[in-house]
Amino acid sequence: MAAPVSTVGKPSAERLPLNTTSFQKKTRTKLISIPGTRPSVQNGQLLVSTGVTSLDYLLGGGLAVGTVLLVEEDRYDSYSRMILKYFLAEGVVCRHELFVASAQDNPDDILQELPAPILDDVAIHKPVEQPRLSCEPQDSLDAMKIAWRYQNLPKVQSALASSSRFGHYYDVSKTMEPEIRQAAKCHRFYLTEHPTQSPPTHSTMLESYSALLKSLQEVINSEGFDVAAPMSKSRNILRIGLPSLGSALWGDDLSCHDNPRNGHALATFFYGLRAMLRSSLAVAVVTVPSHLIQDRALMGNITRLCDNAIALESFKGSERETNPLYKDYHGLLHVRQVPHLNCLASKLPDHKDLAFKLKRKQFTIERFEDGL
Amino acid sequence: MLTELLQGSDAGGFIIIRDSASCSGRHLLKSFINAALNREEDVHVLGFEVSEEELKGSPVQRLHFHNAYSDPLGWTDKPTFTVHQFCMEELARLLKQTSHPKPATLVIDSLSWILRHVSPPAVCATLHQLRKGGAVRAIVALLHGDMHQRGTVGSVCHLASSVITVAPGMKGGDAVAKITKRSKSGKVVQDEDIFTINNDLTVVIQSKHSQVGHKQADPEEQEMDPTAHLTFNLRLSNKEREAKEKLALPFVFSKEKKTALLHSSPGSGRILYEPDANDDYDQEDPDDDLDV
Repeated sequence: MAAPVSTVGKPSAERLPLNTTSFQKKTRTKLISIPGTRPSVQNGQLLVSTGVTSLDYLLGGGLAVGTVLLVEEDRYDSYSRMILKYFLAEGVVCRHELFVASAQDNPDDILQELPAPILDDVAIHKPVEQPRLSCEPQDSLDAMKIAWRYQNLPKVQSALASSSRFGHYYDVSKTMEPEIRQAAKCHRFYLTEHPTQSPPTHSTMLESYSALLKSLQEVINSEGFDVAAPMSKSRNILRIGLPSLGSALWGDDLSCHDNPRNGHALATFFYGLRAMLRSSLAVAVVTVPSHLIQDRALMGNITRLCDNAIALESFKGSERETNPLYKDYHGLLHVRQVPHLNCLASKLPDHKDLAFKLKRKQFTIERFEDGL
Repeated sequence: MLTELLQGSDAGGFIIIRDSASCSGRHLLKSFINAALNREEDVHVLGFEVSEEELKGSPVQRLHFHNAYSDPLGWTDKPTFTVHQFCMEELARLLKQTSHPKPATLVIDSLSWILRHVSPPAVCATLHQLRKGGAVRAIVALLHGDMHQRGTVGSVCHLASSVITVAPGMKGGDAVAKITKRSKSGKVVQDEDIFTINNDLTVVIQSKHSQVGHKQADPEEQEMDPTAHLTFNLRLSNKEREAKEKLALPFVFSKEKKTALLHSSPGSGRILYEPDANDDYDQEDPDDDLDV
């Protein structure tokens, strides 16, 4: 049976601009197209980038919309905070909305420390000038000795406005320009600004966590991130960053006592958070100081309640710092949990021993080669 | 790094001196008080564990000792300072009593006493508010690391900008201080100092990095220059280098030819292509040549 040949769209008569073709893909898909997202090749879920391309690869292409990534902090909270900043910076570059809630640092301070994205120059086609005899040819030709034929071609462009790439790179030594940052809408929740009311007697959740969940619910409903909301305007993704959840400043004694009094408050919070995220176009990255939590059963509970969970173990301050085996890396990364969304089994990463290194322009996660 | 911390150069710091039963950190705490007084700063001391005479022999004008030693839990009718007064409102009122324009340094002796009677999250919240509020310039606290659970010690030290862990040293009068300092940018620096404290409460650093230095010297000695003892010459003299750069390589065009090729390209010959029906030939479709 002959299948109909889909004809290539006829090119228009006028001269086409340099970079686009006239080929138009027929969009019959039911997937909503939101900038900065792409469907997963494995199960068709809508994915967003975490900002760290190696981490995207580990998680199976990216972070699925509606899920939670738990990052267990390293001892001094340096690398987990870096991952959170990458996540928020990616949100700014992709024009998503941000929600930052913190008990220790002011969310504005966290937002001011986002790393600067690395963008190539926008195409500037140099006009062909009359070749002056001595100076001009020398200047332009000394630039490229071998590839001199490409001298006058414009450089590859990828301006911020049309960032259709999935996953960007960031320069850690520079902070993001205020103009780029202010273009993104950001919601803040600073715990010290919310006075704690007296808690109801039989509540398994602390009032700080309840206040946070209420604030999240308001933002999701009012800004239209709910999946059930009518699709009148264009949809966007909400990126939620929660640094150091479960620390003593949230009023939780989970990290202070071996037998915490309200040990299930944090687990209840994660349960509520995941339920809320499943019905909205939002992604959350939460960091928890797990090295302070002594009750491993509770930590296991919390890990199971999140979809993705990784743990960072930095070499700083431990005896491994001087070990020559580990000199190329900054720490080890353990994958505690991979999600199984709408499927029975999930794709586990191939290698169990992974190490990370924070370079200036990239956060690399590699398989740890122990040289044996 | 111990001397830098003693000089108190950065404001807004929260220093914890973590000691244990084997080595007391109170002498180091007294050195910190002394250093702050020498800098003409006001010092407020919340004394739970030792009395005023023991901490500072003769009264000094800028040192305000809040006596929590005699009645810390408020069992008598008129307690001077109780452990339950360790909250932001009471402390702010206490600190405003002095009329010094500059913010003061708060010294807590010891934080362990407070942690035994007030819940750790509340203590952490108060310390956090103290730091952010700007009521004090710096906080120095003594913490007995072996008196609490690991999570409690970890949570409180997590809030601190610098943690000094004192341990007994090799010789009798020495002590070893392991310092971990976290800067605002998230960078963590670690250091180890061996120190003694004189009678006038000045700190003398004996030696730094005594053990680490030996290890670093050995690998450096083994690296030799591999080009040192060769029988052939790997270096170029200046004349040879000039001759090398003047050499015209076979497939490299001269500058004139390059310019000619580059600048003549736009406008010289354009290929105009209008695809017609014959170009829609799809090689994968076997039925394309059917005349249906």
